[in-house]
Amino acid sequence: MKISVRQICFILIFYTAASKFLQYPPMLSAYSGRDLLFSALFGFAADCAAIWAVAFLSSRTDKTFYELLKDNLGTVAARIVYGFFAAFFILITILPLFEQKQFVHAVFYDTTPPMWVFLPVFLFLVYVSSKGFTNIGRCAEVCMPIFILMTIALYAMSFGEAKFSNLLPLFKTPLPQILGGSLRTSYYFAEPAYLLMFMGHYKYKKHDAAKLTLSYAAGAVIVLVFLALFYGIYAGIASSRQFAITKTALFFSATEMVGRIDLLALYVLETVMLFALVLNIQLAVHCIKTCSDFEYPEIISLCVNAVLLIILTVFNHDYTAIRRFYAGWVWIAVILFTIVIPAAAWLLKRRRDET
Amino acid sequence: MTSLDKNVGAVKKVLTSEDVLVFEFISAGGKKFAAVYADDICDKNMIGELAVKPLRDVKKGDGFDKVRMLLASPEFKESNKIRDAIKEISDGNAVVFVDGESDFCILGLKKPPARAITEPPTQIAVSGPREGFIEDIKTNSGLVRKRIKSPALQIKQIKSGKRSDTNIAIVYIEGVCPKGLPERVEKEIAENKIDIIPDSSYVSSFISKRPRSLFKRCASAEKPDVFCAKVCEGRVGILVDGSPIALTVPYMIVEDFQTSEDYYTNSYRATVLRIIRAISVLIGMFLPAIYVSAQLFKIQLIPFRLLLKISSSVQGIPLSPSIEMFLTLLVLEVLNEASIRMPKYVGLALSVVGALVLGDTAVKAGIISTPAIIIIAFSAICLYTVPDFAETTTTLRWIFLIIAGSIGPFGVVVLSAFLIGYLVTENSYGTPLLAPFAPLVKGDLYDSVVKANMYSLKNRPGALRVGDKVRFKNENKR
Repeated sequence: MKISVRQICFILIFYTAASKFLQYPPMLSAYSGRDLLFSALFGFAADCAAIWAVAFLSSRTDKTFYELLKDNLGTVAARIVYGFFAAFFILITILPLFEQKQFVHAVFYDTTPPMWVFLPVFLFLVYVSSKGFTNIGRCAEVCMPIFILMTIALYAMSFGEAKFSNLLPLFKTPLPQILGGSLRTSYYFAEPAYLLMFMGHYKYKKHDAAKLTLSYAAGAVIVLVFLALFYGIYAGIASSRQFAITKTALFFSATEMVGRIDLLALYVLETVMLFALVLNIQLAVHCIKTCSDFEYPEIISLCVNAVLLIILTVFNHDYTAIRRFYAGWVWIAVILFTIVIPAAAWLLKRRRDET
Repeated sequence: MTSLDKNVGAVKKVLTSEDVLVFEFISAGGKKFAAVYADDICDKNMIGELAVKPLRDVKKGDGFDKVRMLLASPEFKESNKIRDAIKEISDGNAVVFVDGESDFCILGLKKPPARAITEPPTQIAVSGPREGFIEDIKTNSGLVRKRIKSPALQIKQIKSGKRSDTNIAIVYIEGVCPKGLPERVEKEIAENKIDIIPDSSYVSSFISKRPRSLFKRCASAEKPDVFCAKVCEGRVGILVDGSPIALTVPYMIVEDFQTSEDYYTNSYRATVLRIIRAISVLIGMFLPAIYVSAQLFKIQLIPFRLLLKISSSVQGIPLSPSIEMFLTLLVLEVLNEASIRMPKYVGLALSVVGALVLGDTAVKAGIISTPAIIIIAFSAICLYTVPDFAETTTTLRWIFLIIAGSIGPFGVVVLSAFLIGYLVTENSYGTPLLAPFAPLVKGDLYDSVVKANMYSLKNRPGALRVGDKVRFKNENKR
């Protein structure tokens, strides 16, 4: 087997959290205000259900999702679905990539550097995304201690400044607005689609569905705690605080004595964020490789990253417009690929069992 | 021409060198013999003891069987092929030709010059054995045999090197070592046809899947206790004649952070030391890069008071931080290289020139700042806490420094991520280089950064996929 359940659990805990530390908190604050925790909770709850559904489906079959599609719908349909999945993974990479670029420019440099400073990341993306599931799993294992140590350090530095009463009273925001916030930030939630891709590549054992779902829930808890910390510190102005994780430990009292050690922790945590980002591209490459039968993932990776580089260069100054587009439309694709298709996959399997 | 002259002539025709000597002698019964051997690497006295003396009583009419019976050498072979004689003489053994016989005897009297067993210079231990390997493969095999008396210990002798015909011993324990691994190692060594193998580092390249990689694929051991412990864990050991450095495969990076002393001292102390080593390596690799990045791109990384100190130190320095650091590192590497190569009596003078003239004067002249020297010196000290890994880390330090000076902290982060992405899929004979961390092997974590007590290390490393997993049973169930 190429990837183990433990490795997937690590992905679900650490990548889930790491991918939501930058712009997710301020955006959620903008839509849902002090009830941002409920907005996030809706998103996580829906994904938890989808993850459980996919994990449970894995217990019924040893086949990959592609093989399942091929058996039920035929090769052409399976290829089309995988083609769409590849497009989906590329789509949900674009905004985080822009966010990463903005984050790097804002946090790693005192003065805004030229755009090319960010471009070396593509060497990393091209190399790592051409690797298979073994690489994905093992990278997650390396990221585990990094994430735990750095997150604990950053949380510890932030905790003293958070005033959690800022989150009260609860449910002050109208429910449609809370749900709207959840929907408009849903492009940060692609984990059920990851699990769908891993299907058949790991050996399912008893209680693994519970393990996977609980791992995702653990990742959700880390994010919820961070959201509470973030809103607890900034309250009403939280929506204007870009790159949330860089702002929470700002007021740590020892900074004066020891320097911005929070920045050092952030730089180390950035490694995990990069692996969380590259996972989408790795899965896009996997989908294209599977549906095209093309044997050279290096070339596919090169092409996918070339597309991303072109988009990044062409829309270099249009981050706000892209973000608006994602908030307005991309949630439809997210719901389709992370909720509807996993549910439909489960139905497919049952139908085949009955026949 | 007698058959004796014919045989000796055939050998001398090929081995024309003057140090190949022919010693002709006649028994009391009038039978002629000729011992051919290479001077300096063959034990001449033993020719007298083991060949001349016993053969005194041979009569003229006695056949080869009688000769064979009288030669009571513990290492005895016979052959009738001249090319065997040539090979054995080159190897240091003596060949005894008998008049009237096409067959000849080979006596294992090899005695190459060898130094005494001493403590190795790089793997020094305060507690624990102090013996180190030397250049003689027989002595080294003996040191291994002395420690592992198991009948399952296998020492397979092979030869490599088209001209040097170097002896290589593949050491493993049958039943513990993964099946097929010794054969794989042997095959990979045999696949390489090179003129000469002067050192085990050549063999190290032969058995590496990616010989051009910055990261090695086999561990080295200069001490027999370390070597034997690794062989007992299920690894394959390789001894190369002429090299005091033995090799072991499969290799995991974590091995370089373990020293023999960790196993001879308190496990808590060993754990602390391992953590210190790991942190030191990280500091050694990243500190110059972080310092340069902070100065050039993100000044906030430096604490305010320290920043004031640094700014007063760097005031008036004509070089940019990256160039300054680059030059300081260059000076360090030059001093390091010179101190290794220079005769010992010049070493002291070199230290004075290096530390006082270059360091102190450069600072006083305002060419290099004090923080740059402190950082480079500290970085160097840190990296040598793990000397086996220093070859890689010192190179990486250069790369990180160049990246930090040109792209800044983000470049350092990307390069680190790239290295992780690269290392996670690399392996040495099927064992991942980053094991037991990626893939996570729970049992092996007890002997990784943490050094657990002996009672917790009951199994052999799981990452090696050995045959016999249990290495320690305690009847008191502690």
